Amino acid sequence: MTDPLLETPEFDPASGAEGDTGADTGASEDDKTRPRRRYVIEDDTGFDEVPRKYRRFYRRWAGSRDALAPNEVLCPVCRVVIRSARELRPGDRVYCMPCMSRLTVVVGEGGRLEARVEY
Amino acid sequence: MSGELHARDHASFLAEVHSFEFWFQSVEGYLASHPYGVTPGSELPALSGTERDALAATLSTYCVGEAAALDGASGLIGFAPNRAAKIFLATQAVDEARHLEVMLHRLAELGVDPHADYESRAHASLLAFRDRLMHFVAAKDWEAALFAQNVILESMEFAAFHSHMQTADPRTAEMLAGVLKDERRHMGFGENDLGRMLARSPATRQRLRAIRQELDVLVLSTFEDSLRELGTPASERPEVGRLYLETVARLGFER
Amino acid sequence: MADFLNAYSIQTWLESCPQGYLQDTEYGHAAGLKEPALILENPTLREEAIGTTVQLVVGERAALAASSGLINAAPDHASKRFLATQTLDEARHVEIFTQRLYDLGVKKDELEDTIARHANPHLVRFAEILLEKVDKGDFVAGVVGQNIVLEGLAFSVFEMMQASNVELNPKFAQTLSGTIADERRHVGFGENRIGSLVRQHPEKKPEIERMQKEMAYHMLATFADRFRGQAATLEESRRITQAAGEGSPTRRVWHGTDLASAAPEELEAVLAGTVLAEFKTRLGRIGLDYQTPDRP
Repeated sequence: MTDPLLETPEFDPASGAEGDTGADTGASEDDKTRPRRRYVIEDDTGFDEVPRKYRRFYRRWAGSRDALAPNEVLCPVCRVVIRSARELRPGDRVYCMPCMSRLTVVVGEGGRLEARVEY
Repeated sequence: MSGELHARDHASFLAEVHSFEFWFQSVEGYLASHPYGVTPGSELPALSGTERDALAATLSTYCVGEAAALDGASGLIGFAPNRAAKIFLATQAVDEARHLEVMLHRLAELGVDPHADYESRAHASLLAFRDRLMHFVAAKDWEAALFAQNVILESMEFAAFHSHMQTADPRTAEMLAGVLKDERRHMGFGENDLGRMLARSPATRQRLRAIRQELDVLVLSTFEDSLRELGTPASERPEVGRLYLETVARLGFER
Repeated sequence: MADFLNAYSIQTWLESCPQGYLQDTEYGHAAGLKEPALILENPTLREEAIGTTVQLVVGERAALAASSGLINAAPDHASKRFLATQTLDEARHVEIFTQRLYDLGVKKDELEDTIARHANPHLVRFAEILLEKVDKGDFVAGVVGQNIVLEGLAFSVFEMMQASNVELNPKFAQTLSGTIADERRHVGFGENRIGSLVRQHPEKKPEIERMQKEMAYHMLATFADRFRGQAATLEESRRITQAAGEGSPTRRVWHGTDLASAAPEELEAVLAGTVLAEFKTRLGRIGLDYQTPDRP
């Protein structure tokens, strides 16, 4: 059975969807023109806190030395790593299911991508 | 797979994560085949008398927190603003009841009568916090009660359990790990619900800031007492309160 | 008491309910099951199904408010923990019956209006009487009202509806089966826990018995409205179902009455008789004298 909530292959996280603030997220000109990398995310992380069909979108954070991939960002609310099927860029919206937060990807201190809660 | 969870709209996301079905499928992952939150047949750790007494005192304090959270979450259902919030809080009530149960079970394993009065072994500051929380619930004050329960108390528990897990015996650590998985939902619900409310009604912020100042003393003193009891070095204690302080800062309640 | 309450622990509940009979279900039924096309396509049947389901939502909302409200008033932690499981059971019931309204075509933004339009005023009053006790923190009266009267009512209504739907509407019948399994625990707790409290507080008996009589009256009035008051609609629904070849000739007997052929007043009589007899037996076991309600 397909899940309509997961079958959105043409989705562009930076296409101006709800919650996409864009203005102060720090997106560079290069980000806006360079094509995004896509990722095949497998259910291989052992994360077990959300329904099975969503588990591949999350993994446990291993602490401050945990290097995040370009399609990953850390949830500041509950400290779980959120994964996307695409390379993440400033302005993208992501959801953290374990703590039910909606977040926007921003450039944090030191240039690293971070997630900011959007209430 | 081409699907992208993050593409969905916010309303449908919230409807799903606040549902019984979501809770039901989420807890299945970590509670199935783990009676009382631990692997069946795992060895009971050998603890010295001092370690046992310290753990019993700490678990007693946790039990007061969980019992308060059970009374708080169930009380909030009666005046929650919508059906989704009521259903979410019902899942939280059963989570809190489970936490109380697994902690009483662990106390029993330590030789402490689970039916004895654990409040007498708990910290006075947490008992005072509980009384304030129940005052807000009795007054049907949604904002204050949710703030005290799902932001302050849950953040405090999350930080304390996370820190305790690093030094706990394997059985206690496994039990706490399962509890932490529930706490993510509770903290997230509180922060996001209040965050949305504050965005609509900035005047509420001033009132909650005053409540935060009043409760901060009790929260931080409970942290301090529990960590001292568990032997956490003084240098590491501020780190434990950091998560709580970051949460209230995100909501705009800096000192 | 403590040993008895061990059977009502969260652990037992987890193993019997979410990890037991609800395993592999969605909204209380096997994945993929749908409402029968006949109900969805026929306006009379659809409206009748919506009207019935609304009463279930109203009852379950009251049960959710009551069970959660009673946790704070519970005199011991074991009772609090059981009531937490009951609270979540009731929340699940609210969710699955609300979902059924959506499955029947009610739009999300029309939900509250639909409930307000169909909710029986006597059922609303029945719930208010119970919630007045809960709001006062009266644990003994609250548990009798919730776990003996309301749950006793729900138990029989669900059983009757489940018997009616087992062949006609397997989706709805499965949904009801899970709720019946939940109600068994709730009525069991009500009887087992409250008996000792009634003995400790004999002074509360007259007030509780008055509550039971009043709640029973509004229950009977709800039945009267649903069966006698809407007899023509019920008969028409049955005729449409049978004409479509989905309701006949299988007999569906419940407490000696063939639900497929009995007249609406017979259905009302068997349901009311069953529920009241259950009340009398259960109340007697916990030391309360059953009060015969006025007949609407």
